Amino acid sequence: MNGVQVRRPLLYLGVACALALLSPLVPALGGGFGTGSAATPDGPGAPGAAAPAAPAPACTQTRESLRPSGSPPAPGAFPPGSTLAAIAARGRLIAGVDQGKYLSGYRNPATADLQGADIDLVHQIAAALLGDPAKVQFVVLDIADRAAAIERGQVDMVVNDFTVTCARQRTVEFSTAYLDAAQRILVPVSANVHEVEDLADQRVCTSRGSTTEAVLRALPLRLNVVTLPGIPDCVVELQQGRMAAVSSDDVILAGLAAQDPRTQVVGRPLDHARYAVGMSPNAPDLVRFVNGVLERGRADGSLAASDRRWFSGSLNPVPLPPPARYRD
Amino acid sequence: MSLDARPAHSPAAPTTARFPLVRRASPKLAGTTTPMRLSRLGAVLVAGCLLTAVVSLASGLSRQSATDEGAGRVAALTADAAELYSSLADADAMATSGYVAGGVEPSAVRARYGDDIARASERLVHAAGQLAGDDPARPLVTTVAQRLPMYTGLIETARFYNRQGLPLGQSYLGNASALMRETILPAVEQLRRQQSVLLADDYGRGGALPLAVLLLGAGALIGLLDAGVRERHRTNRVINPGLLAAAGLLVLALLWWAGAMALTDTRLATASRHGTATTALDGARAAVLQARSNESLVLVARGGGSVSDSGFTTQLNNVLGANGSGGLLATASAAAGPDGAPAIDEVRTEAERWRQAHRQLRELDDGGRYNDAVASAIGTDPAGSRAGFERLDAALGRALDAQRAALDAGSHSARDALTGLDAGPAVLALLAAAAAAWGIAVRMREYR
Repeated sequence: MNGVQVRRPLLYLGVACALALLSPLVPALGGGFGTGSAATPDGPGAPGAAAPAAPAPACTQTRESLRPSGSPPAPGAFPPGSTLAAIAARGRLIAGVDQGKYLSGYRNPATADLQGADIDLVHQIAAALLGDPAKVQFVVLDIADRAAAIERGQVDMVVNDFTVTCARQRTVEFSTAYLDAAQRILVPVSANVHEVEDLADQRVCTSRGSTTEAVLRALPLRLNVVTLPGIPDCVVELQQGRMAAVSSDDVILAGLAAQDPRTQVVGRPLDHARYAVGMSPNAPDLVRFVNGVLERGRADGSLAASDRRWFSGSLNPVPLPPPARYRD
Repeated sequence: MSLDARPAHSPAAPTTARFPLVRRASPKLAGTTTPMRLSRLGAVLVAGCLLTAVVSLASGLSRQSATDEGAGRVAALTADAAELYSSLADADAMATSGYVAGGVEPSAVRARYGDDIARASERLVHAAGQLAGDDPARPLVTTVAQRLPMYTGLIETARFYNRQGLPLGQSYLGNASALMRETILPAVEQLRRQQSVLLADDYGRGGALPLAVLLLGAGALIGLLDAGVRERHRTNRVINPGLLAAAGLLVLALLWWAGAMALTDTRLATASRHGTATTALDGARAAVLQARSNESLVLVARGGGSVSDSGFTTQLNNVLGANGSGGLLATASAAAGPDGAPAIDEVRTEAERWRQAHRQLRELDDGGRYNDAVASAIGTDPAGSRAGFERLDAALGRALDAQRAALDAGSHSARDALTGLDAGPAVLALLAAAAAAWGIAVRMREYR
């Protein structure tokens, strides 16, 4: 038994081979490297999808506004505890506006100032309320967020081409109307589109949460209605050929056509809209006060003058303030 | 063993016994004489050493290629992705902050935007050049390459309208920024993560315990020692010098492996720490740039619209931690070690100062002092938000450069530790095979 041994070395080597073949199955041992899972740069959040337009309300008739109480009280002479007194104590009016609607409410990129017919009206109200048209804090609101901003008290009022509807009147108290508008469509000049019927099966864009959205969806046509946070966003899409048309009120569309001469406003009015200042139902004193300012503007022609100043270049006839109608 | 008793019957034995390797290849291996058994033993021992040599060579080569790829292509792509991300996020921050000012944006802002886009394009071309046609990173690079011209086109349209005094420019700007934040930057981030995982994988392979080599080497070594000891007992003579030399050479080969792996392991651990710190600082810089964009967008929207200041808070909490002592900077500081910590502490101080300046800006805006808020965001006041952001950005840049340099140095020195690991131990194992063959041949010669 003391002869030359082959089997044992062979056994050692065999076992080593078997283990070596199995070793890749052993989870990696030794030096590893951090996989850098620490960085989580999230974007500042996609624009949150706003709630869709409320389902068709069961109301049919809009309510008229509150009658102004004689001549509006002078700045500094407001009854204590009233909304007016609270705004005066704060020293500035907080107004929800748009900054993308050319001619109505827009940011002038040269000066970074807001201007337009709506902005003029805010300054007029601030002047009457606080004695200084500049005492305003503007808050830019998404179209779909206008009523909610009033409800949660973020703003004193919304002056942003805000159409009076009875659905909105459940949470918003409107002033008397200061402008009459009609919903129409904006299309490229080169497109052979004259009426909304020419747009069947095509993409038509409007702002999310606006009255125009409901009107488009109610049309007996197969329109592909697309909604974006604001009408200017629709125009960006239109210019890039991703939309066939944009639908909104003529006042707003005129401002867009004025920025892009290769687009035009066409078609019959699809709907009529009355723009008014939206406020909280819990602030009847403020509503009456604003109606007083509007009444004065109608009487002395300053309201019409502002409309002419902004719209005469692009709208004919210039839309004018409709007569006031009140409830008592 | 019982076979020892059988008589020899192979007529070829006398000639082939002089050439054990030739004999090993001959079909008549089943001989039972002592020389035949010796030659079979020699064949097994030589095969063990050769196998060790081959596996050592293959293992060394794969480790070197893994760390070469890690330190080369993958590290370059990781750096490309990080640089691409910060250039693009910076470009967007410049484009949006340029808009806050009103009028034509300041030329310094415009120039920085241009530099950012140029640097991003350069990185993109470089990254694309590193990728094979079927590389999984390719679709991501393609996405960025397709969308970047769209982004710059939208920005230029925004500028055009701004110069006309028309508000449509703002919509183009918002559109461009959304494209950047929601499509381009996520693609770059995914590319960076993908490459980080590959890098970890490469370094993991480079530093993994070489089980196959160690097991085969140990098996061959035990076989040699066992044969040597038994030969010594059998012949009552001194230990066989060939087998002894073979065992010594194998031990050397195994020690080489062990030494190289120990060295690589500590060096890779160092590189890994700096890699973690770099990743965390890259993340912090991305968060800071997005916070800056968010600040501008909220200011442009005057606190309304679809952007809210919570975007800023979230990003800064990512950087500083919710309670002010954690976050990406704490990760970076812990990983960077005492050498890197002061630079990262400076980043934390600047981030806290910027957050303070931003809070004051928000108070101004929310308090109706919009123009003062804008002045803080884009003016030259050293206590304002813009100055705070720029100091923070510079501090982040310095800390990042230091960590990236340390990472490069670490991974190169880890690669140096693997120098010669492919051929060195393999040659030693080959020599061991020769020594074993010689040792057995000497013994067999005694039977002639």
